[in-house]
Amino acid sequence: MIICNNICKAYEHGPIKKQVLKNVNLTVEPGERVALLGRNGAGKSTLIKLIGGVEIPTSGKIARHMTVSWPLGFSGGFQGSLTGYDNARFIARIYNRDYAEIKSFVEDFTELGKQLKSPVKTYSSGMRARLAFALSLAIEFDCYLIDEIILVGDQNFHRKCHYELFEKRSDRAMILASHSNEFVQAHCNKAMIIHNGQASEYEDVNQAVEMYNGL
Amino acid sequence: MRQGSFRRLREGWQVQGRVIHALIIRELNTRFGRENIGFLWIMVEPLLFACLVAFGWRLIKGPSEHGMSIIAFVVSGYIPITLFRHIVSRSTAVFSANGSLLYHRQIKITDFLVARFLIEMLGGLMAYLFIACILMAFDEFPVPADMGMFIAGWTLYALFSFSLGLVIAPLSEMSEIIEKFIPVTTYLMIPVSGLFGMAAWLAPDMRRYYLWSPFVNGMEMMRKGIWGDEITVYYNIWNPIGCTLVISAIGLFLCRRVRRTMSVD
Repeated sequence: MIICNNICKAYEHGPIKKQVLKNVNLTVEPGERVALLGRNGAGKSTLIKLIGGVEIPTSGKIARHMTVSWPLGFSGGFQGSLTGYDNARFIARIYNRDYAEIKSFVEDFTELGKQLKSPVKTYSSGMRARLAFALSLAIEFDCYLIDEIILVGDQNFHRKCHYELFEKRSDRAMILASHSNEFVQAHCNKAMIIHNGQASEYEDVNQAVEMYNGL
Repeated sequence: MRQGSFRRLREGWQVQGRVIHALIIRELNTRFGRENIGFLWIMVEPLLFACLVAFGWRLIKGPSEHGMSIIAFVVSGYIPITLFRHIVSRSTAVFSANGSLLYHRQIKITDFLVARFLIEMLGGLMAYLFIACILMAFDEFPVPADMGMFIAGWTLYALFSFSLGLVIAPLSEMSEIIEKFIPVTTYLMIPVSGLFGMAAWLAPDMRRYYLWSPFVNGMEMMRKGIWGDEITVYYNIWNPIGCTLVISAIGLFLCRRVRRTMSVD
């Protein structure tokens, strides 16, 4: 279970202060799939980063009673100057996993072949997404944080992600930020609309999508 | 209950140990690559620097000073100061440079500093050992009289430099002006680094002020370890220990503050 209690987040850049999230409350039960809906810049990514512990809330508390992945996105989580293999080795070390297992999973899932020997900064965004997904799926988490990344990549990648995330790991919790209504309606059983820093929770995903379209 | 928290602490240390190990390897890979001599490059800069300056002094000032071989004297001063300068420059803006790694919750920002510190310290020690062995073969460097004393001095000197890094790293994130001024301050520090002279060469009342510098205390201990009874040294181990503890506490407090407001992309 993840409990976010009265989270506020404000960014300060010199004299300008921007309040991104105001008193957000959210509880994620094991196996629950929560969609975060909101316009660009509404604070979806910020909330995901806070839940993942990448950034620290200005006030409020986040309690994690299950293992939570790092936020999956285009950047973050890996080092551009290192090769795909080096990144896999780094992840294996810090999460105390067997490198050989992670390596074979990454090779299998990404289908990047020799490219894994080149620095990640030479990858396209689709290739990065493959690597990011492979690395986080290679380590089992109770809850996955996904930031819009599912929508990049080709059909083949979609199929694989779909199988790994929604079929093989259908018992896991997930928090995903997405702009795709169909996707949210198909996969999520709870939704949250973030608008003007306020977050409202909806048990009915279809109703949430309707509300969101009306914004 | 007590046992439970002790176990948690031990697990925490194990995680941090793994993280620092991984960071060190990553840092060595990105900085030195795998080609030719690889991470041995870390020794090259202190070696070249110390050797060139030492031979310069040898030409200008003759073979010895106050009974010490001048080459050995300069080398014993320059390697520690390169260590200090490297630790400071590696601490500047270290958090934003490694920001993307903060995606993994078990990596704490102080781990970056510890990893870089360990690399610099071991690199410096290797350079020292290498250069000393070569100079000993030419009879320009004494066989250390008291290795324990030398290591103690080196450790105190390095730890004090590390504590400064703990303060400089968050300060350099807070303000760009500070970031620009840090390289200048490392030069201002050179006169009180113990590089050019021994406390014994000074008049007693000057010596008292000179020994306020934690660097001088560490340096005197290192030289005592090398030359032993041939030279007179003055030091107080509590000065560097006390300064390190106080400055580290300030540094950790600042790191914590910076982490709370850091934005990671």
